[in-house]
Amino acid sequence: MMRSFLLMLLLTAALAVTATAGTIEGTVSPGKSSVVYVDTIAGKTFPAPSQQPVMDQKGLQFSPHVMVIQAGTTVEFLNSDNVQHNVFWPSISGNKKLGHNLGTWPKGDKRPFKFDNPGVVSLLCNVHPEMSGYIVVSPTSYFAETDASGHYKIDNVPDGKYNVVAWHEGMKQQSKSVDVSGTGKADFTLSK
Amino acid sequence: MGGLSFRAGNRLLPPLVLVFLIVPSRQSLAIPAFSRMYGTSCSTCHLDFPKLNDFGKAFKDAGFKFPKDDESMLKIPPVMLGAPANAELWPKAIWPGTIPGIPPIGLRYNQYFQYTSTNRSNFSQLSPSGTVTPFIPTTDFEAGYFSIFTAGNFGSDIAFWVDDDISVSGANSNGTLGEAYLKFVDIGRLMKLPSYALSLRVGQIELDIPFTQAKSIWISPYDIYSQANIGAVNPAFGQQFVNNSFAFAGSGKGIEFSGGHSIGGYHYSVAFIDQDTSNTPQATNNAYVPSATGSNNGGIGFASDSNFKDIYTNFQYRFNLERDKASRDAIQAAGPTGPRDHTYVNVGSFWLYGRSVQRLSGATTEGLPTVITAREPFYRVGGNATFNYRCCLQFNALWMYGHDNNLLPVDANGTVISLPVGTMPLPVGFISGQAATFSGGFADVEWLAYPWMMVLMRYDGVNSTSDYINGLVSGGFTGSPFNGAARATRNRLTPGVQFLIHANIKASFEYQFRPSQSVVFETSPVTGLPVAINPFHTNTAVAGLEFVY
Repeated sequence: MMRSFLLMLLLTAALAVTATAGTIEGTVSPGKSSVVYVDTIAGKTFPAPSQQPVMDQKGLQFSPHVMVIQAGTTVEFLNSDNVQHNVFWPSISGNKKLGHNLGTWPKGDKRPFKFDNPGVVSLLCNVHPEMSGYIVVSPTSYFAETDASGHYKIDNVPDGKYNVVAWHEGMKQQSKSVDVSGTGKADFTLSK
Repeated sequence: MGGLSFRAGNRLLPPLVLVFLIVPSRQSLAIPAFSRMYGTSCSTCHLDFPKLNDFGKAFKDAGFKFPKDDESMLKIPPVMLGAPANAELWPKAIWPGTIPGIPPIGLRYNQYFQYTSTNRSNFSQLSPSGTVTPFIPTTDFEAGYFSIFTAGNFGSDIAFWVDDDISVSGANSNGTLGEAYLKFVDIGRLMKLPSYALSLRVGQIELDIPFTQAKSIWISPYDIYSQANIGAVNPAFGQQFVNNSFAFAGSGKGIEFSGGHSIGGYHYSVAFIDQDTSNTPQATNNAYVPSATGSNNGGIGFASDSNFKDIYTNFQYRFNLERDKASRDAIQAAGPTGPRDHTYVNVGSFWLYGRSVQRLSGATTEGLPTVITAREPFYRVGGNATFNYRCCLQFNALWMYGHDNNLLPVDANGTVISLPVGTMPLPVGFISGQAATFSGGFADVEWLAYPWMMVLMRYDGVNSTSDYINGLVSGGFTGSPFNGAARATRNRLTPGVQFLIHANIKASFEYQFRPSQSVVFETSPVTGLPVAINPFHTNTAVAGLEFVY
């Protein structure tokens, strides 16, 4: 009896939370592989996720080409090629003090790195200069990547007013203030 | 970290590049076709193109393929010339192969600008007043080379390479063709040998010399590689009936067996090439004789001067000095900022044996007209060494000795006939004279200061007494191989620097402190023989721009 009561209580609480969580959606031009995230929210922190996404190096390419993560996430850098690779980034969002070199490792091995600083990480390989990849580190857990048509949707955003940032490779980053009351909408047209 | 070196270098780049953009490199071959097919930069295989890094050497050794997982690296898949399952039908079906998905063609163009020092006109100082002599300008823009090259793999470990200079003949060209060959990689598998033990190249090839001339990063060729052996003909000295134009700078037609690795352990090659000591272009060498590839009225000519084939051998051993075993065994070492070349010491030796042939109108001992033939064995032998420190610093040295037997024509009385041989007296045979020899080599240092900047220094030295002697005749200075060497030893010092503007565009600069020359000679009161006096140097500076695509 007591167990059933507690279960009902938890379900009710969960439904209440869901009811106040909204979405932010819209489109980003030029479209695919754009990243949209909610910028830093004053006074709110987000626990580091336990999942460790994998950034692969396969066929002399970073895969995926663009990855978006929450700050505090540890990314596993995998080498799937039968040639040696290197991973480094000269800066994070222009801050050269945050540049780092992960070194070199053979096929099948992984090297983890925890990204604590929000920003855009431009991944490079010292020996294959044509290789390029990006990790966008979001300061919040509210982020999304656009689909093939440029559409994005960020779920579970509490009602409120937020600064939303859109990023695309080679384009100027753009931010907009968005009011979320159940839903929020923000379209971005990025330019070089 | 990798980016730091670029930042530091950027402070130096603008003024230096500006200097080289206003002046216009010469011989180099890189393979843009591979860039296209694999979707990767030139720097995957090259340090300062066309210089190969360890990965590039492994790629070449493998038959222009990634040593492992080649198929997964190709961005443009090859076209199948038969399903792999056809191999099971052998011999009732053609063995399946592939061709590259796009024509693997690369193009190269370069131009250069030369400055010649104030002594440039000294060669004509003995000409009578009023004589119009060849004019040598202080500065000169020169069109360079435009070459087409193609290379790749046909599957079944059969690789190919062709490079051809479309505009003018390159240093490695015989005619206009540089190298053109098929390479059968790993034919040793037929004898259950290790995969790297035996390969075969067939065609027109640059001999497997320790340091390539055809794909050198230097603008100026290695002097010793261009050294022919022309015996002394100056009548004031002991004459030599040696006229051997063979030089390592040229290419040879034939076959080559090779094996081992270019990146570690042993490497060997054994080649058999056409005897070509007359340097006669193939098209004009007996072109009127029917050949298997021409018509009954004349073929394309023959490349050989005789039936004998030159034999060339090369043996190298590379001591890998990497401490970490994983790095030592890998194609490239795992450096803290990315893969890099191994630290190593390489030592080797090479040897070539041939028989130079000269034919003369002569007579039998009975006085009947006949053709007499001098077959003069010759050899070239040398050694080389390299110390390479990681990506960036390399010391190279090579020394070589050349020796040609000297068969002097004699008349019916056994008297040596003065050279050149005239109509009388007719030679009836030969006797051995003093061999014609030369020696020399080079030593250089190549420092990759930045990924985009190579600093170079080279010393070339060639000792040829006969070259010196042949200049000591009136008018002989301009006709000798070196335009009047003032001493038997010719020394040249060449500092240089090269900048990769892009991975496929290069600006190069070399200053050449050239060997001393002379056009004036006098008779030595001690020996009674001519000696050169009043030596001078004609130094040159050359800047080049080169691009491949």
